[in-house]
Amino acid sequence: MVVSAKDGLKLVGISVVSFCAVFVCTFFINYYIDVHALEGEVPEAYMPIYDAQVAMSRLVCGITGGVLGAIVVIMLAFYIKLYIDGNAKRFGLFKAMGYSENRLAAAFWVFGLAVLVGACAGCAAGYAVMPAVYDNMTIGELSVTIGFHAWLPFALVLLPSVLSALVACVYARMKLRGGALDMLKGKTQSTEKRTFDSGKPFLAEMRRAVLRSNKSVVFFVAFACFCFAAMVQMSLSMRTLSSELMGGMIFAIGVVLSATAMIMAVTTVITRNSRNIAVMKACGYSVKQCAVAVLCGYVPFAVLGFAIGTVYQYGLLKIMCDIMFADVAIVPDYSFDVPMFFATFAAFIISYSATMLYYARKIDKVSLKQIMLAD
Amino acid sequence: MITARDVRKIYRGCEVLKGMSLDIEEGENVVILGASGSGKSTLLSVLSGLERADGGSVTVNGEELAAMSDKQLTEFRRKNVGFVFQQYYLLDHLTVDGNVRLGADLVGNKDYRDVIGAVGLAEKLKNKPSELSGGEQQRVCIARAIAKKPRVLFMDEPTGALDEETGRAVLDYICRLRRELGLTAVSVTHNANIAETADTVIRINSGKIVEYYRNSSPKSAYEIGW
Repeated sequence: MVVSAKDGLKLVGISVVSFCAVFVCTFFINYYIDVHALEGEVPEAYMPIYDAQVAMSRLVCGITGGVLGAIVVIMLAFYIKLYIDGNAKRFGLFKAMGYSENRLAAAFWVFGLAVLVGACAGCAAGYAVMPAVYDNMTIGELSVTIGFHAWLPFALVLLPSVLSALVACVYARMKLRGGALDMLKGKTQSTEKRTFDSGKPFLAEMRRAVLRSNKSVVFFVAFACFCFAAMVQMSLSMRTLSSELMGGMIFAIGVVLSATAMIMAVTTVITRNSRNIAVMKACGYSVKQCAVAVLCGYVPFAVLGFAIGTVYQYGLLKIMCDIMFADVAIVPDYSFDVPMFFATFAAFIISYSATMLYYARKIDKVSLKQIMLAD
Repeated sequence: MITARDVRKIYRGCEVLKGMSLDIEEGENVVILGASGSGKSTLLSVLSGLERADGGSVTVNGEELAAMSDKQLTEFRRKNVGFVFQQYYLLDHLTVDGNVRLGADLVGNKDYRDVIGAVGLAEKLKNKPSELSGGEQQRVCIARAIAKKPRVLFMDEPTGALDEETGRAVLDYICRLRRELGLTAVSVTHNANIAETADTVIRINSGKIVEYYRNSSPKSAYEIGW
């Protein structure tokens, strides 16, 4: 009644990121265990390759799994905040009727279902690609046999799902603090009083206000662009450094992650500002002016995300090639690929502009009448 | 100034406006009276260019609204229309100042703070809507509409959510403002007492005009019952 299972399953973004995290971890942890079992059988000549594969498995699991796991938690918190803000009046009513904050917060366990769905699919996909990728990751002539480790699905599917349900309840408990009356009136915890800068025109002030009131969206826009820059460039480098298959996997994960984060972020901005957009349009602001006020403030953060992603992928590959795989003769030298950077940047500009154009068209469809009828 | 002829509007298969015709002169104060669901808010939306009619014509200063493109309609609203909503629709993350400037910036009105002062909110310039009472929020909404210096002020139940004291004060302020600025005002309400303040009263029922008359001596906000 408080939060339905349907609400939890609607969080496609969380399921997608969970899928990616569990997919990568399932594959690489399984590989790490299987390759580790061969330690005594690896001929001396192939030991550097063995060490490199073990180190890579650890690194990819640690960095990708860790980062994506953290992103799942951030996304979970983001969705819970959105949900509570969007349903503040309903929660205010529950509290006014006598529901305790603990009881209301406990209902948020259903948000863990999104992680469960993504994790299940990620684990299954991880096992599905194993035969093909294992063939590409032999230690010289020594092939690695796929082993099934029963504790792995438990550790990568059940445990994260239970933990995320717990995180959801604890975070919801924090966000549900506050008076019932305040919530009924639609006052959220984020309501803040600030000094007004009278020198700025309305559209500039609106742009800043939208940014301030959607700080978490800033993070997701930057994260989406970070993923795009880092993983697309890394995947292209991986095709020469590792294998086509590995490069393809990273490319697919990068595109899916960045698209998911971007769609989630911009949809949130439009949804949260639909009433404001409708009022602006009713007053006589054009669609272009509304789009500028609501969407353009994110451009610097998108570019920043892209820049950090570029530096990150370069640093990571440099460390891998120069330090971790320094003893492996087959690993080629790695240097920053300038033409590839510009190609990725051009693709980034085109994709970002197309996304914003698509959402500007959505703004065109926002009507005050719909909002009035909804009220 | 505003001429509507045989205006029709259909929502989800239901005819909400069934061929309405009316004339509004410049500087006139018109009140459209009707019960809930009679089509009065829809009529207001159509007259103000917020929505298009499905049939008939609406002409404002000789310009046919149906013939305008979306861009032209936006331009029309920008130059001519001020709208006071029943639910206020203030931008909740902006201050009072920012909300009023939403209207003022459209026409380059630098003196918009005079309007805020005139509605008695000079002290609350930096407050957000959530920190204001219902009456104060309604006054911000009025200030926002006035700050863009419209030729016609459309008001949807401007006192509908207010208590008697605040309602009278808001109504009195709108009447004074209308006289001072020579504004044309069109408001819809279900409160028959408010109709006594109008020059012209149009009563509608089930999407049709059932009564249309002029008040010989309109009353002030403090002379009417509530």
